Amino acid sequence: MLWIGVHLPALSLECFVATLAPELPAGEQLVDDLDDIDLVGPVALIAQHRIVAANDAARASGVRCGQKRATALGLAPHLRLGEADPARDEAALMAVAHVLMGFTPAVSFGGDHVVLAEVQASLRYFGGLPRLVERLRAELAPLGHALRLACAPTPQGAQWMAVGGDDASFVADKARWRARVGAVPVARMAAAAPHRAALDALGLATAADLCRQPRAGLTRRFGSQLLADIDRALGDQPDPRTALQPAPVFDSRLELFMRADDSAALLTGAAVLLNRLTAWATAHHGLVGGFELRLHHESRRRMIEDPSLRTTTLDIGLGEPVADTAHLHALLRERLQRLPLAFSVIEMSLHCHSITPGAPPNTELFPSAASVGEGWSRLLERFEARLGAHNIQRLQPVADHRPERATAVRVGGDAAPARTRGAGQPLNLAPPLNMAASGDPAHWPRLKRPVWLLRQPQPLRDEAGTPLLAGKPLWLVAGPERIESGWWDGGYAARDYFIAQDHEGALLWVYRFRHAPEVSETGWYLQGRFG
Amino acid sequence: MSSPSTLLPLEHLHPALWRAHQLGRGREAVQASGYAALDAELPGGGWPQRALTELLLSGTGWGEMRLLAPALARVGAAGRGVLLVGPPAEPCAEALAQLGLDLARCVVIRGDDLLWPLEQALRSGQAGAVVAWTPASLKGEALRRLQLAAQSHDGPAFVLRAAAAAAQPSPAPLRLALAGAGPDAMAVRVLKRRGPALEEPVLLALPPVLSRAARQRALTPRRTRATVRALSAIA
Repeated sequence: MLWIGVHLPALSLECFVATLAPELPAGEQLVDDLDDIDLVGPVALIAQHRIVAANDAARASGVRCGQKRATALGLAPHLRLGEADPARDEAALMAVAHVLMGFTPAVSFGGDHVVLAEVQASLRYFGGLPRLVERLRAELAPLGHALRLACAPTPQGAQWMAVGGDDASFVADKARWRARVGAVPVARMAAAAPHRAALDALGLATAADLCRQPRAGLTRRFGSQLLADIDRALGDQPDPRTALQPAPVFDSRLELFMRADDSAALLTGAAVLLNRLTAWATAHHGLVGGFELRLHHESRRRMIEDPSLRTTTLDIGLGEPVADTAHLHALLRERLQRLPLAFSVIEMSLHCHSITPGAPPNTELFPSAASVGEGWSRLLERFEARLGAHNIQRLQPVADHRPERATAVRVGGDAAPARTRGAGQPLNLAPPLNMAASGDPAHWPRLKRPVWLLRQPQPLRDEAGTPLLAGKPLWLVAGPERIESGWWDGGYAARDYFIAQDHEGALLWVYRFRHAPEVSETGWYLQGRFG
Repeated sequence: MSSPSTLLPLEHLHPALWRAHQLGRGREAVQASGYAALDAELPGGGWPQRALTELLLSGTGWGEMRLLAPALARVGAAGRGVLLVGPPAEPCAEALAQLGLDLARCVVIRGDDLLWPLEQALRSGQAGAVVAWTPASLKGEALRRLQLAAQSHDGPAFVLRAAAAAAQPSPAPLRLALAGAGPDAMAVRVLKRRGPALEEPVLLALPPVLSRAARQRALTPRRTRATVRALSAIA
């Protein structure tokens, strides 16, 4: 087992900064990393009127976590304060998880802004751990978060190492791993948080200190969770994690801190959403075929009473599906610049359900039957997704003499359950003739049914017993073949079929009712054509 | 000067090269049509792969499926899928099976906009053969797109169009006009191919529908009424 823990130490602040309009001279430049946060000036987050996070610029002015709002504003008058929003953080964390899902399906949240991923099975594919980590960093970079990465043999260990920002190198050796876990300070342990004062008073500072104490006593005082966490970190206790699943439809919203009145301000926010979109596509190993950007306008204005004016929707379809943020960004910029904004925007959301499976599989030198079949069913899946299952039809002969019931239609691609239109016992015909051996098609066995059947038999004009098609007489050249069947299922048919030739030589399949004089439907009908 | 025996014939220099009086040899593999007389006139000796083949016919039911059946049957026998895009009527499963098509690998696509699935199918290269009935209003531009897409299609691709389209230029390298030539026979006129023009139509005997006696009757048509009476007497 090899777990990678990704810790985002400044996630909440970064998410808040992303909603700010840039005040930089290079206005279109995005916030890339922690250093740029300081360029936007002092920023802090508050929860319940107390500072919970502050950037370097704010800290330089003396703003500290735990201060009251008024104190902080007194220290730094230009401080921009935002509410801490766990939902906003979670959306950003989900994007990080989506990127990790591009590497392994076993991705889970570790709590405390940590995402954990088990990558043992992916090492070979990505060419070893160092390359994988390098690539992971490169793919996480567009999201613009400060990262701390750690590799560990257990998820709990990866969590603690990532939070601590320790040496990221992976330790497989059991004794060395124990030593490293032993050095983890209790401050990093979530289970120790309520007992910090007591632990400090006892002089228990690290995991090793805790391990040296009698277990029964520790459990009685501090609960079983603390020791269980250490056991899990050491690998002495199983630690199953439920893997996250990427959502089937992408939906992400971003509330803007300031009203956005121009496309540059909108693009800054949209870039965040686009990065999340591509991360989501990565998790699906797919490409984005189009998306919808909804701009929510300020609704307090009296002018916007019409609900349809409260949002502007930009529907962007792509000719060729891509997973390239830069391309999507360029497309969006084109559209936004042409968009007249009637009202300022306070919130935007991005919606995408059009994802196409990624690049076709590598072609083999000699295509195998398996790869051919896979590509074929994937093609049918795409047709089904776009055209609807009812437009993808397979044919199945049915044991029934009536031509209108002799073919059952099964709709949908390979994956679809067998829903057949038309009832009856499926007929297993003899396997197709071996064409290579059968030689000249002119000597094939006689074709008994026409290839093309009309959905509704076409009534033909009857002139003295001769059927007329479009005013021209038809010559009957073979027949009759009597089909009389179905008195038991309500579809009674008693018809005499003939093969007819029209004036140009084409062969048709026509019939007339056996009891023609008695029923109202007299005369000839065209049933099919020998295509 | 080298002796003539060591000189390679010019057309052997490159597969795309052929003399004007010769038939072009297909760069790609071809799919034998199953009709020896037709194969002899087709460049490479069969239906071209990775290119569109345009079949022009004045209606439905001239034996077009019987003409294509040997090639489609071979595609199915090779384990690959056959797509029928927008057929003009309901296909009869039994007849198709009798013509040798593998119904498990035969899929009918219907819908309003058939150009999209057609292009995707050709471009994906996953279909073994594609037979498409295109609307009469098909633009030359759309046909060019299809021809481009067909270059990645690994198999024969047939586009069936109305005979009126013969006058319009087409990017398809092979264009044939189909016409009936009596019962169970078909006249194939080559409108365009890589090679010299062919004046005479190729006469093909299709897989039969009629028995020998019925074919005789069809060749010497009598009054229908008498036929009915005679046939009824036999029955």
